[in-house]
Amino acid sequence: MTLAELAARIGARVYTPGGAAAVDVGRVWAGDRISDLLNEAVDNVLLVSNLASTHLIRVAELMDVPGICLVAGREPDADMLAAARAHGTLLMSSPYGLFETCGRLYQCLSAEAPTVR
Amino acid sequence: MTTVVYQIEGGDFEHGGEASRRLKEQLKRLGADPAVVRRAMIAAYEAEMNVVIHAVRGELRASLQNGQLDIEVSDTGPGIPDIAAALREGFSTASARARELGFGAGMGLPNIRRNSDEFAIESTAGQGTRVRFSIRLRPQTLYGTGRHGLTIEADRCRRSLRCVHACPTHAVRVLGRRPEILDYLCIDCTACVAVCPTGTLTTRGTRAGLPAGEDAVVVVPAALLVQFGSGIAPAQVRAALAALLGGEAAAPSARVWVLEAWEAALRAGVRHYAETAAALPVISPACPAAVNLIETRYPALIPHVAPLAPAVEAVRAALAGQRAVFVVTCPSQRTALLGDAAGGPPLVDVLLPAAVQAALAPHLPAAAARPAVGGTVPPPPDADLLRVTGLPHLLHLFDEIEGRRVRDVRVVEPWACAEGCFGSPLLREEPCLARHRWETAPLPADGAARAVPRVRPLAPRPGLRLDADMGKAIQKLARIDTLRRELPGADCGECGAPTCAALAEDIVLGRAAAGACVRQRPQEKAP
Repeated sequence: MTLAELAARIGARVYTPGGAAAVDVGRVWAGDRISDLLNEAVDNVLLVSNLASTHLIRVAELMDVPGICLVAGREPDADMLAAARAHGTLLMSSPYGLFETCGRLYQCLSAEAPTVR
Repeated sequence: MTTVVYQIEGGDFEHGGEASRRLKEQLKRLGADPAVVRRAMIAAYEAEMNVVIHAVRGELRASLQNGQLDIEVSDTGPGIPDIAAALREGFSTASARARELGFGAGMGLPNIRRNSDEFAIESTAGQGTRVRFSIRLRPQTLYGTGRHGLTIEADRCRRSLRCVHACPTHAVRVLGRRPEILDYLCIDCTACVAVCPTGTLTTRGTRAGLPAGEDAVVVVPAALLVQFGSGIAPAQVRAALAALLGGEAAAPSARVWVLEAWEAALRAGVRHYAETAAALPVISPACPAAVNLIETRYPALIPHVAPLAPAVEAVRAALAGQRAVFVVTCPSQRTALLGDAAGGPPLVDVLLPAAVQAALAPHLPAAAARPAVGGTVPPPPDADLLRVTGLPHLLHLFDEIEGRRVRDVRVVEPWACAEGCFGSPLLREEPCLARHRWETAPLPADGAARAVPRVRPLAPRPGLRLDADMGKAIQKLARIDTLRRELPGADCGECGAPTCAALAEDIVLGRAAAGACVRQRPQEKAP
């Protein structure tokens, strides 16, 4: 499922439409520690986090992560927004908390997941 | 890129990660493997942020040479008072501000170590810290050490397939016309060399003949001195070898060093270590192949291995700065001597026993009619030391130690070859006989011999990574499992893989063709 579709399904607001919106996401990883996010960051993952800072965009940039989802309606500050635009990271914010956001994302992705064989 | 240097400002969270970003651009421009870039970025970013979080200022210096990426991040700052604690996962001294930003999870240094092939840290409290790490660029080194001392003479192979079955770690395949060694599993022992009927699998010296007339020390295993039949004592062989080398009229013991003396020193060192060691039995690192086996198949036993270097490495250290030629009896000794972590030019030469034997034979005195028993009294058997030789026995014993069923032994000395190096397939004499001849007429101990600490710490080998991407790796694992169930399960080895499970893995990884199984009927074969 593409990032744009996922955002629409879970009712997240997209701040930086464009480039990465069409990227197909295979998995979701949520966490609030940079080291954890770094380890799980790959080119088809959506990172979900409470951390609304430019460092998250930096991680995305270094690890080729296409999308980042903030939670609990958190809004990115101007720096974060500028960094996401500059790098072409799709930045969205979900109105739900971390747990519920992940639950919704899981439902979206598991509905379409191919049976592993 | 030869070397690039980027400055890092301590406390500047806004620009933290900038050095790593610029390094990434460089690596991409060079076309580095994405898996390498990924590992480099995790490690570099963690190291850079450590400077931002803890230090005053620092720099990231990266260079690409000898097929590896070396990164050094140094800073002036408070330093790390307790490095061991800092390396523990979850240990952090980061400020509240850093933690709010998601740093300070205590995973920085462990993450760097995990994502690099070599890692070193030094720090002086009150001055600063220097972290150095290297990532090898060849993709196969993701899977293991990436080096072994075996040579494959492919045109000799007649597909006897004995090697496939003999390998204790299932590292050999003969899927095509020639054998292949899977680096990440090979422990550099002699199992395949010993069974190969055609000499396809062997090892090579870095030179062909003795350094006659050169100013070089020759290091020989005791086993080499007892290869010349009955009635010729080791001392006579050593004297003949020294004479053959010529040059200055130095004593034979100065021109020809015998490895056995250094093995005895190592044994004493291991015993001493065992007096206070926490994990018993202590395992001696005498045989490099046995140590490789532990890293590959018995990682739980790593804490049992005494932190000392094999005898060949101790001798090499003692001969630093001199020309030295080592006569090696197995590929693992060759690798220990030549496979320098720094990747520089080899410091020493290695020579195979056959070359020495051929050169020596005409120069030996006639054999005495009576057994040549030397003047030295053989040492009494070691009561507190269990010597175990030969791979099948090693595997059983390691299983036992792992199962905590060996409580009555203080020190174990494992050797991969039967009777230790006396049983090397590169030697001709019957191992028990050779060993007996040595033990009844050993050379006097060498006063200079000593044990030295191990330089590279032991670490579990990562084993096979099916894919750098975890998602794809899981899919591959599922396919391997399905395929394994479809194969007959006879483990006949006729396809050139040791087991059906190994073949399933080979097929999914593209090493073997889908229809490689010779037993499956065509209609059963997967499309």
